[in-house]
Amino acid sequence: MLIKYKLLWGGLFYKKLRLLLSVIGIIIGVSSLLLMNAFGEAAKIKTLKEIETFGPEIIMVVAGSVRVHGGRAIQTEITTTLKPSDAEALRKIKDIKYLSPVFNGDGVVRYLGNTLTTIINGVNEEYLLLRKFPLLEGRNFLIDEILGYKKVTILGYKVKRELFGEKNAIGEVIRINKLPFRVIGVIGPVGIDASNVDQDDQVLIPWTVAISALYNVDYIRSIYLSVEDISQISAIKERINEILVKRHQVSEKNKDFDIVKAEDILEVKTQTTDLFSNLIKSISILALLTGSIGVTAIMTLSVNERKKEIGIRKSLGAKDKELLFQFLIESVIITITGGLIGIFIGLFSSFILLPLFKYPLVFPWFPILTSAFLTIIFGILAGIYPAYKATKIDPIVLLR
Amino acid sequence: MVKDLVILKNITKAYQTGKVIYPVLNGIDLEVKEGDFLAIMGASGSGKSTLLNIIGLLDKPDSGEYFFDGQEVSKLNKKESAYIRNRKIGFVFQAFHLVPWATALENVLLPLLYKDEEITNEDKEKALELLKRLGLEKRINAKPSELSGGEQQRVAIARALINNPRLLLADEPTGNLDSQTTQEVMSIFKELNEKGLTVIIVTHDPEVAKFAKRIKLIKDGVFIKQ
Ligand SMILES: Nc1ncnc2c1ncn2[C@@H]1O[C@H](COP(=O)(O)OP(=O)(O)OP(=O)(O)O)[C@@H](O)[C@H]1O
Ligand SMILES: [Mg+2]
Repeated sequence: MLIKYKLLWGGLFYKKLRLLLSVIGIIIGVSSLLLMNAFGEAAKIKTLKEIETFGPEIIMVVAGSVRVHGGRAIQTEITTTLKPSDAEALRKIKDIKYLSPVFNGDGVVRYLGNTLTTIINGVNEEYLLLRKFPLLEGRNFLIDEILGYKKVTILGYKVKRELFGEKNAIGEVIRINKLPFRVIGVIGPVGIDASNVDQDDQVLIPWTVAISALYNVDYIRSIYLSVEDISQISAIKERINEILVKRHQVSEKNKDFDIVKAEDILEVKTQTTDLFSNLIKSISILALLTGSIGVTAIMTLSVNERKKEIGIRKSLGAKDKELLFQFLIESVIITITGGLIGIFIGLFSSFILLPLFKYPLVFPWFPILTSAFLTIIFGILAGIYPAYKATKIDPIVLLR
Repeated sequence: MVKDLVILKNITKAYQTGKVIYPVLNGIDLEVKEGDFLAIMGASGSGKSTLLNIIGLLDKPDSGEYFFDGQEVSKLNKKESAYIRNRKIGFVFQAFHLVPWATALENVLLPLLYKDEEITNEDKEKALELLKRLGLEKRINAKPSELSGGEQQRVAIARALINNPRLLLADEPTGNLDSQTTQEVMSIFKELNEKGLTVIIVTHDPEVAKFAKRIKLIKDGVFIKQ
């Protein structure tokens, strides 16, 4: 029983180096394919995660004009014409869930001996809810604290760590640009959002305090709104535009504000990730191709080396079909072995490399299956073609 | 009356290299009866191997008729030729042509792989018996590279015999052997022939040809009348 298989495929292990080379060719093809797809997939998921913290229900009204570039909303021109009263006016729009005026600037934050520079974000009590930032400790602002110009602050996760370490921060007084603020809350880790700002590296204070005591201006930088019903978002954006154009008495062409939805940022961002994943796809197809060309070359070599064996088998009465089957199975064994090892190495290296590049861990099953499938197909073709050619040669020529 | 195993009628064969056509066989007539032992001799390049390959269904004549075991076989397709080669013809070559990675026993069993039947323990017994008969009982698991020329050729003979062929063909079977081994190998052929096997060998060597019952000389693509 077993002797049959030995007689058919015993030759597979005869030249070990040759076998090794063909298996390695496949391994390189599959593992690089896998690794690159893991990176592509991880990049996509990372983007989606970023967008989550900047929900699709959020609209930003930004003073000046904004360009969306590389997935970021960049303020290209700063004006002083967006006022707190504009924010109040927008409250009248129905279907708005949360709204917060925002004035942000850089500031120096200090607690005992620790000093650091961070973003000072002047907002109201709705901002946390609007951005869905989780409170790790303490509480949100009270409306009275906003209206009453109270010097209270909610710390971003990193700021809390750097100023206080493991110690309690709630109730402590820190200095922001030298003014004393009482810490009332700490935000849990959020990470980098779609606007590419590290949301853990900021402190929140009442906007009223920000524009008066801290920065002494009469304008705000932006207004954040969120809507009840996402399907209404375009209509609401339209409505905001109408109201502000009227209030600022500007024409549609030279507006002094810009309205950005998460979707707008998303669009550009997915465009870039699509570009990225297309690039990855082309590279991985190239890798696979290189791998299979290698396998084809080695298989051709192997069949050439074994032309005599083919001739012997033919002279003993082997039919072309039987010889093709023999070489088909040989290449299937080589490609499947290489494919499995390649999958293993690919997974293993993505497991190590992805966290190294701060990418989320993903196991892209679809590329794994496609690459496995493709390599097997390639491997089979690579093995069968030279064998097919060899069977066409006269046995007497093969045996000469 | 003894049956004709091989009948060749006016067989021709020419090879073409580029635009030049080289006629090799120019009308070969041959009858080989069962139990015969024929030696074909001739100068190098006279077409001995070509003729033997045609007889062994490894090659096709350009024209002429070939009856093997009562069947016209000159126009069979590849598959049908392979079938007859496997069941009815044993081949022994000058260069032995053993599969390098397989042991002596495995090489002997190889033709059974193409017989559409499972390889049984009896087959194995038979292969061992053949190897023993040829004095190779101690070399059963040796690879060809570990065997001497004479031993390799004896393995090749055992392989040619495993399917109980009607006809044994040997193309210069002693061409790579020293004179003593040549005698040994030829004695094997002689013994096989005496037990009833039809043998055709091609050789340069008159000493080898002596073992045959009759000798035919090929020149200019035809047999010389004797
Ligand atoms: N496939 C081929 N293509 C072209 N020419 C061939 C081919 N096979 C044989 N020949 C030529 O046909 C002629 C006869 O060859 P063959 O091998 O039959 O001679 P031979 O009598 O066996 O010679 P030797 O004693 O040297 O083995 C030679 O000239 C050879 O070069
Ligand atoms: Mg010859």
